[in-house]
Amino acid sequence: MPPKHYRAPGKKKEGNAAKYITRTKATKYLQVSLNTFRKLCILKGIFPRVPKKKFEGNHKTYYSLKDITFLAHEPLLEKLRHKRAHEKKVKKAKARKNKELAERLLNRMPTYKLDRLILERYPTFVDALRDLDDCLTMVHLFASLPAVEGERIQVKRIHNCRRLSHEWQAFISRTHSLRKTFISVKGIYYQAEVQGQKITWLTPHALQQVLTDDVDFNIMLTFLEFYETLLGFVNFKLYNSINVKYPPILDPRLEALAAELYALFRYVATGSTRKPAENQSISSTEEKKDSDEKMDTCVNESDLQLAQLQHQLPSNEPGALMQLLEDSNNDDDDVDQDTIECKTLFKNLKFFLSREVPREALLFIIPAFGGVVSWEGEGTPFEETDEDIAYQIVDRPTQGHKFLSRHYVQPQWVFDCVNARIILPADAYMVGMVPPPHLSPFVDDEAEGYMPEYAETIKQLQATAKKNVMPLPDLDNQDLADPQNLIADGVMDRTQANEAAEERRKLQLLEKQYHDELKMEMSGITYSATLSNKKSENSGSEEMQHKDEVVVPVSTEKNDEDDRAKLYMSRKKRGLYEAIEISNQRKKDKVALLKERKRKASASKSG
Amino acid sequence: MGKGKYEESSSDEEVNSSSDVVEASSDEEVESSSDEVEALSDDVESSEDESSSDNEKVEESDSSEDEVAPRNTVGDIPLVEWHKDEEHIGYDIKGRKIKKQPRKDKLASFIEGADDPKNWRKIYDEYNDEEIELTKDEIKIIQRVISGRTPHAEVNPYEDYVDWFEYEDKGHPLSNAPEPKRRFIPSKWEQKRVANLVRKIRAGLIKVSDQNKEEEHNVYSLWTDDTDSVENKKRGGYVPAPKPKLPGHEEAYNPPVEYIPTAEEINSYELMYEEDRPKFIPRRYLNYRSVPAYDKGVKESFDRCLDQYLCPRTRKKRINIDPESLKPKLPSRKDLRPYPTTCYLEYRGHMGPVNCISVDPSGQWLASGSTDGTARVWEIETGRCLKIWEVGEVARQICWNPSPDRPILAVVLEYDVLLLNSGMGDIDIQTKMKELLHISEPGATEDAGDSKSAVTWIQHEKHDGIRMKHFKAVSSIEWHFKGDYFTTVVPSGDSKAILLHQLSKKHSETPFRKLGIPVTAVFHPSKKKFFVATKKFVHVYDLSKVEKIQKLETGVREISSISIHPGGENIIVGSKEGKMCWFDLELSTRPYKTLKVHSKDITRVTFHRTYPLFASASDDCTAYVFHSTVYSDLNQNPLIVPLEILRGHKPEHGRGVLDCKYHPRQPWLFTAGADSIIKLYCH
Repeated sequence: MPPKHYRAPGKKKEGNAAKYITRTKATKYLQVSLNTFRKLCILKGIFPRVPKKKFEGNHKTYYSLKDITFLAHEPLLEKLRHKRAHEKKVKKAKARKNKELAERLLNRMPTYKLDRLILERYPTFVDALRDLDDCLTMVHLFASLPAVEGERIQVKRIHNCRRLSHEWQAFISRTHSLRKTFISVKGIYYQAEVQGQKITWLTPHALQQVLTDDVDFNIMLTFLEFYETLLGFVNFKLYNSINVKYPPILDPRLEALAAELYALFRYVATGSTRKPAENQSISSTEEKKDSDEKMDTCVNESDLQLAQLQHQLPSNEPGALMQLLEDSNNDDDDVDQDTIECKTLFKNLKFFLSREVPREALLFIIPAFGGVVSWEGEGTPFEETDEDIAYQIVDRPTQGHKFLSRHYVQPQWVFDCVNARIILPADAYMVGMVPPPHLSPFVDDEAEGYMPEYAETIKQLQATAKKNVMPLPDLDNQDLADPQNLIADGVMDRTQANEAAEERRKLQLLEKQYHDELKMEMSGITYSATLSNKKSENSGSEEMQHKDEVVVPVSTEKNDEDDRAKLYMSRKKRGLYEAIEISNQRKKDKVALLKERKRKASASKSG
Repeated sequence: MGKGKYEESSSDEEVNSSSDVVEASSDEEVESSSDEVEALSDDVESSEDESSSDNEKVEESDSSEDEVAPRNTVGDIPLVEWHKDEEHIGYDIKGRKIKKQPRKDKLASFIEGADDPKNWRKIYDEYNDEEIELTKDEIKIIQRVISGRTPHAEVNPYEDYVDWFEYEDKGHPLSNAPEPKRRFIPSKWEQKRVANLVRKIRAGLIKVSDQNKEEEHNVYSLWTDDTDSVENKKRGGYVPAPKPKLPGHEEAYNPPVEYIPTAEEINSYELMYEEDRPKFIPRRYLNYRSVPAYDKGVKESFDRCLDQYLCPRTRKKRINIDPESLKPKLPSRKDLRPYPTTCYLEYRGHMGPVNCISVDPSGQWLASGSTDGTARVWEIETGRCLKIWEVGEVARQICWNPSPDRPILAVVLEYDVLLLNSGMGDIDIQTKMKELLHISEPGATEDAGDSKSAVTWIQHEKHDGIRMKHFKAVSSIEWHFKGDYFTTVVPSGDSKAILLHQLSKKHSETPFRKLGIPVTAVFHPSKKKFFVATKKFVHVYDLSKVEKIQKLETGVREISSISIHPGGENIIVGSKEGKMCWFDLELSTRPYKTLKVHSKDITRVTFHRTYPLFASASDDCTAYVFHSTVYSDLNQNPLIVPLEILRGHKPEHGRGVLDCKYHPRQPWLFTAGADSIIKLYCH
């Protein structure tokens, strides 16, 4: 490839041949090996393109020429060349048995940084968040891989991944931005909403991972290299946004107990750890710091203290500023309705995890929804014998000793509660029972056309919960000193709320009808057909014959109408129309299959 | 052993018996090993010395090894053969005969051997005819030779090499120069370099490695607030990787029962193609603790990585539209009434598929021709069969004369066209008709130009009409709107494919030459224009000048029928692949609209004479009714609306509706089916 301004005779000035370049030619042009090229492409986010005409043949990979020239100007390319040269020196020294030199050279191995690349690929922070799905999945996967010396992956990197993933989880949990969770066979899916971006990631189950041989770890590690850096910067930015110092300094005692996540929670909750009094006040506002039971009683005191302390602090002290900022931030956060909902789901509920329950997932989820959680082991916030524990998460066939004051539920209960955003009745999830089916929160049942039975019951529960709970937020804000007033207001609110709910339900009904009609229109059912259908539905079984008479001609007429319109379409449109119809039919078949299976299952159960 | 060899060489000498230098030199080689240099020189000088002296010398040389000299001197001769019958075995050195030893018989020698413990060491020397007993030393030598060692144990072939040159401790180096000074003083350049490094380290340009290592958390706020606004120049055409698919209910560890396929379904997956087979088969675990580690987790992550850097990305427009919106907005059918919708009458009577129908210009009578060899006339309003002609052949096409005062029917048979008097009308007309359909002298209308006439006009006796005999099979007939001229098409007729006939003069001519294979030909409904459809094109001719005006490219594979709009500016063409083309002659020579209507051949397209309707009949047993408004304003395109699909005919031998015709005044459509029924559809 010639430089920019020179064009060799016979070279194309425009068209595909001028816009694209094959991979072989690109590597030749860049004078790099294929491995280096691959690494560069991964780090720079350059991907092959599909030219309209594959001028060099069908089986070639084409890159945009602009991308390649962009690579040619990349300083990283030079860095990688230096690195390669340096590696050669090391090799030479080793071959000459010059151990000392080899070591010295190894120490001075040229390094490169990816921060500029990250900024280049993601000019704004939101861009980075948008592309974070793969990053998180990968980092979480590597965090769960065995950290054993001599494996293909360096232990240091696995530890780094663990740290990053915990930091991320701590942030999500702290800001209550987790929205959906799902236990699948592949692992646990989480979906969080950060700055309006929905970020979904998958964490493997907390079990030994299988390292297969059909995987090229070099490629994965190159990706990981980029992702680690990216997540580091993202975490930094996020921690900064909630005024917590990054990187966090963890309690060594908890770290030793392999409770990094909890340690991080505490760290994040306590902010930048300036003064203990400050910390307590923050945690009291956030319901995060849990160990201090006395907090509630002495809130006033601590507030007073805080005021005094702040007064004492010099005004340019960064800690004080941060404190103020954080308070204001908190207020801002609360504006988001969703976050409030998530924050208050498990509010004032204490959870205890049994030994056998996968701790990390629940330790992440429960605080994210405002709950307080403890587990069996050292350094836990509270013991199993704590009377206030409302739910104990158990995953064993039978529970021996039971406290009557608490529910013993299976882990799925937490996930289902979170997805439904209500506290589900724990009866179905008791120890030793087969829990109800676990449903994916990522599926739009109505769009899919089939709603599983349990989804419907959850929906009903949600509806009733909404009716009951709606006025409660107002209640909380009431002056607690005046109980009479409160009750009266409460009653008022209740009735009002009930009325409102009724109206809403009516509205919803109307809306639903409207939507249904719209949908029907989309699926090609005319109004008259539905009318007739409805009529036929309404007229019972006694009028079966009559119904048939009514429906059949209508349908044929409709068919005719369809054919008539199809006649007039252009070939392209007709093809498109038929393709859509086929896909719709496929969808319908799928739903029909599900219904059929359901019918059979229920029949076999009853029979 | 060695002896034999010597004998050999000496005998060689004997055989050659010449005293060449070469030979002598060879001799020398042999002798040199026996250290007899002097004797050899003698030998060379006295080259004539015979083997005897040689032998002596050998004796001498071998004296240490063999005490007993070989007595026999006969040389290397086949002893057994030559001395078999002699009493001697040879001669000794003095020339005396050496007697043979008495033969021992085998048994005695065996017994002797068995008794003698040394027997295994004895060997028989045939040459000297004696038995030799080998000593122990000799046996050892033999064994050593066999095992490849030196014959004598005392010889060491691997003695240490003693160099002929002594060099140690002689006290004289190769170079005697003194050590240079530079070996004793520190390097100047090294010192300079070190100084340079020291300076650089002090200046902080070079960092010592220990400092370098302490750089773990070098993160900082990468995205400042102003980056949002300033640096938003992403590379053109960057396509972010699509997000992975979110899991559905079926991927749950505990999915609803209906998402789990039954055993039969799982088995049926095995029969599917590899690509179609579902990649993930849902399974149900009854509790969370029993969920195993996902073994394909790393692999899937890796695949995702591969996808990200290997897969080409393009933006694909995903169409998410309501399929109904694709359908064109057609005007309501209610507004376009009247048009035929329902079957009103059926005309039954034909015994075979009805090939053709025709409605008389008054709209009272319907004529039909069938494969059963009859042509019939029906009363339209009652369905009564009025008249039957037994034409005896398959009636391919039938056509009423469009002039109301000439109630003549033209029926196309295989080679003939019959012009029949239908018998309608009052007496005046009938008498006229009789006149018209009478040919005074048969064969009078010979074609002037051609030697062999294409058509002969003959009086048909049986049905009282005219029989026009064509030279080849006729496919179609069409009357001119005035009713005097008509045209017939003979597809295989080459230059005489299109024939124009004048009824009043009983005259035929072939004005159009160079054509392909014509399919049909029609007259313009008002102007002097003529349309000829070949397989793919429609040619428009001016009749007055007899020249081509237009050539319409249909783009269909094979035209089956055409029809002219009563206005004359629009044509529809039906094709054998089920397509219909609408041509606007003033717009273009290409179709204004092509409709893929039928799934099988279109047999007939036809316009209504007064209503804005046209219809198509096809072998797929349907007839379509269309609305077509042609505007007088040239800027406005004709409006074509599909109106109705008429079904009712049954398929017979793969054929459906064979013909369709509109009623001249009413919006009624007649269809003739292969099931030998004619149907009338009314509004």
